[in-house]
Amino acid sequence: MRNGDDMSNPDRKAAPSRSRSVVRAMIWATVPVLLVVQLLASAGVEVSSFWSQIKQLDARIARVAESRAELIAEPLWKMRYDQVTSVLNEIMHDETIAAAAVYDDTGVAIARVVARPADQAVSEVSRPIGYRNGNIAVEAGRIVIAYSYATVYADTGSQLMLLLVVGLLATLATVVAMRISANIFIGRPLAAITSAIQRSKQDGRAYPADIKSSNEFGQLAQAFNAMQHTTSGALDRLGHMASHDPLTGLPNRRSLSEHLVTLSHDAGSPDSLIAFCFIDLDDFKGINDTFGHDSGDKFLVHISERLRAAVEPQDWVARLGGDEFVVIRPEVSNEATAQAFARQLLDAISEPIRLHDKQVVPRASIGLAVRRAGDPELSHLPALADIALYHAKSKAPGTVAVLDEALQRDYRRRRDLELAIPAGFTEGQFEVWYQSQVDLESQAVVGLEALIRWRHPEHGIIGPGEFLPLIERSGNNARLTRYVLTDACRALQRLMAAGKPQIRIAINLPPSELADHSFAAELRATCARFDVAPSSLELEITEGSLINNIASASETLHRLRRLGATIALDDFGTGYSSLAHLRRFPLDKVKIDKAFISEIPGSAEDKAIVGVIASLAGTLGLTLVAEGIEQAEQAEAMREMGVMLGQGFHYHRPQPLDAVLQWLETQAAPESRVLADSPSIAPEFA
Amino acid sequence: MTVFLRILLVVGMACGVFTPIGGAVASDAKPLNIVFVNPGKTGEVYWDMVAQTMQAAALELDAHVEVLTSERNYRIMQELGLGVLARSDKPDFLILSNEEAAAVPVLEAAEAAGVKTLLLSNTLIGEDAARLGPPRQKLKTWLGDITTDLQTAGVRMANALIRTARAEKWQSPDGKIHILGIGGDEITPASIARNAGLKLAADAASDVVVDRMLFANWTQSEAEQVTTNYLSWASRKGIRPAGVWAGNDPMALGAIKAISTAGLVPGQDIQVVGLNWSEDALRAIKAGRLLLTDGGHFLLGGWSIVLLRDYADGCDFAATSPHVEVKTSAITRANLASVSDLIRTRAFERIDFTRFRARAGRCGQYDFSINALISSLAPLEGTAD
Repeated sequence: MRNGDDMSNPDRKAAPSRSRSVVRAMIWATVPVLLVVQLLASAGVEVSSFWSQIKQLDARIARVAESRAELIAEPLWKMRYDQVTSVLNEIMHDETIAAAAVYDDTGVAIARVVARPADQAVSEVSRPIGYRNGNIAVEAGRIVIAYSYATVYADTGSQLMLLLVVGLLATLATVVAMRISANIFIGRPLAAITSAIQRSKQDGRAYPADIKSSNEFGQLAQAFNAMQHTTSGALDRLGHMASHDPLTGLPNRRSLSEHLVTLSHDAGSPDSLIAFCFIDLDDFKGINDTFGHDSGDKFLVHISERLRAAVEPQDWVARLGGDEFVVIRPEVSNEATAQAFARQLLDAISEPIRLHDKQVVPRASIGLAVRRAGDPELSHLPALADIALYHAKSKAPGTVAVLDEALQRDYRRRRDLELAIPAGFTEGQFEVWYQSQVDLESQAVVGLEALIRWRHPEHGIIGPGEFLPLIERSGNNARLTRYVLTDACRALQRLMAAGKPQIRIAINLPPSELADHSFAAELRATCARFDVAPSSLELEITEGSLINNIASASETLHRLRRLGATIALDDFGTGYSSLAHLRRFPLDKVKIDKAFISEIPGSAEDKAIVGVIASLAGTLGLTLVAEGIEQAEQAEAMREMGVMLGQGFHYHRPQPLDAVLQWLETQAAPESRVLADSPSIAPEFA
Repeated sequence: MTVFLRILLVVGMACGVFTPIGGAVASDAKPLNIVFVNPGKTGEVYWDMVAQTMQAAALELDAHVEVLTSERNYRIMQELGLGVLARSDKPDFLILSNEEAAAVPVLEAAEAAGVKTLLLSNTLIGEDAARLGPPRQKLKTWLGDITTDLQTAGVRMANALIRTARAEKWQSPDGKIHILGIGGDEITPASIARNAGLKLAADAASDVVVDRMLFANWTQSEAEQVTTNYLSWASRKGIRPAGVWAGNDPMALGAIKAISTAGLVPGQDIQVVGLNWSEDALRAIKAGRLLLTDGGHFLLGGWSIVLLRDYADGCDFAATSPHVEVKTSAITRANLASVSDLIRTRAFERIDFTRFRARAGRCGQYDFSINALISSLAPLEGTAD
């Protein structure tokens, strides 16, 4: 019984519309036909019966007339009229007879009896009364009987009513029987199948339809169940595949979101702490590149096995894809334990692995987020841990970074800025500021470096160090570069207008632009548009951008150089500081990173390095620029070491063009140190 | 009436005492013992008169007649007859009438009992006649029968009507004389015979049409009814009715009544004939409303005693025929006076029955005509009161 209820309940919700409509359609299709046929048939039968009754009545009355005529013949002929009347009276017992009369051979009514007024259809039958004896045969008169069909009509009417009622009852019974049988034989099996489909749809498992009959529906159900069985296996596999990483067999990203939902439910109390470790392998790309993808996969399987081995049964390990793993410990006593757990994971990962007979030491960074089980933002755990991971990766790879308020604040600011980039472009929030480059010898301004600033409506002026990675990540590098280029050209125009055509402007060229072959053509077009010479432009590049794409970078640089632009290598000394680069690329200037300047004149080592660089540049014919000069002593030291140009707050802070032009006006006069009032939030960007 | 009968009986017995003394034919032995089972009802004129003439004749012919009345019930009639035959002192003769063919069992029982029988008025008919054959063959004791020739009576009555109608020119527009026949019934031989007489006469006359033969169960009222119906019908058909032939007197009188009611004068516009010699009929004849009444067959009672007397005396009527058929006679205004008193008073002792006995050597030859009757009548004076 319970089974039956379970089976039928969903039917009522899901199936009825369909099963009822089938049954109803069947009933609508058959019942009117049935009813019409039944009514027509019974009406036909009744009509024929009516005619036969009429005929029978006619015949009967005719027989009555004839038999009465025989009986009456003698008394009529023998003028025993009383007998005639009494014989005639006898026939009046017949209720269909309305009246009767006997006429003699003179046509006079000898006897006449009237049973009832003839108000309904009356028919008449007339028969001669023949008298015969041994000697004579004469027509003694006539008998006329008037009779009514009323009884036939009444009979037929009641018969029709009866047939109608019986027909309706039969139809009703048929409808009920059809409903019941259709429900049993069609509706129920359909409902069972529909219910199975419905349940399968609800939780993705393949339920069989519970039909035991051996008719077509039974066969359908068997076929359906067989299909369900097949589907069930496929669904199971599909489900597993959908939620698991085929390589390591660990749950995948999909499973993570599902698991997160159950986390809070499974937790003992809303206050228990959940530790979420976001693990990212450092330099997995390198392993793939070095050992091939098969080994990369093998490496990942090793890592997953280690993670599995390192956790407790209640912990949960997943691979989100690539080199990202997640480990969740559903209950930790405090953040410190969580951190210890994360470190424990790092240790487990860091065991050396043999790949192609080589010892590889895997390294990973972990972003750790700890949240209460009752936290409504539990589903954001991956994102939070990712913030921490980002921090770890960017600040201290190979460590555990714990998500704290500051990280979250940074993250939120980063996110805000990232989202505000399109508005920044459209609303002109990006501004190009300029910082002068000064001839250390003559103290004359020889150039300006274009530096990008973001005048954010909420966060104020933001330095490029913060937002350029966001620009790059959002794919707006080219746009920003063109923006700066355009602004620089406009600045050159104004410099010419201000009578200082000798001042050149340097712009920073990001690595992506260096790889773009069309940049040179674009630069030329822009210069042409503003009617400035490309030779007034200087393009600053970093070593990193050269390394990633040596061939195309070289090509682009040569083109730019042919246009007349000069090329400066920025931040020299911090990166590769490859001497080969200095030789291979068409460079005009080398800018010494301010890290070497800031300790001067105190640091003898830095002084020595700068000295070496200066002598090398001198040998290679490159002009040297010292960045970050803040003190006169530093300027003096640079000049002494043979550095030609200097740049820094000592001379000039980056300022908007108008301020710079104003400042240049004053520069012509006595030497004055006008410092820009802009905040020194960002270092120069190289 | 019973008082009257008793008186008659006393008178008859008194006469019987005297007859042997003054009688022409003396009986050698004891008087004949005769039983008559009367089929009719007490008060039924014809059968009463049969019994009376029988007894009047018995007085004169040295016989004793016991009359048993069966009151028109053939079962009673059979019981009476069988009862007589079961007696130890059996009669010499048993006179029966085969009314409704009920006499046959009695006839057969009499054969067994050895009692001689004579059928009166109605003899064997149809199947019985064929089965039992003529008298004295299968049934030795069945001596024969004495009946009336009613067919001739019917013919005579019809002819009288036809004669009158022709004389009076009572033809209808079609030139025919239209007559209504009223019969008593259709099954009694006595009725069938007279009806046949009407038909014979009508068939013989080409100018005569019997419009209808109606039946009135011998009764006056029914005859009046059917006559009324006939007259009305005839007037609608444009027929001038010339006469009504009635099978007996009561029916003739009923017809006369209907004719009067219809506004016609019987005897003047239309003639009626009857049969039975009834007193009412005689009065109607006298009044001119009835043309004639045929009959006299009640005398069969007296004649039967004559036959048996002759038989007992050795003059067997079978010498001529065992079937003795007596002709009837019509009473008209012409001979009314001679017989009306006889009938009115029923003084049948006035008839000298001895005069009707067969002459020697001419056994079975009788003259029972009305003329013989009239001449046999004794004068009225002194005979009765």
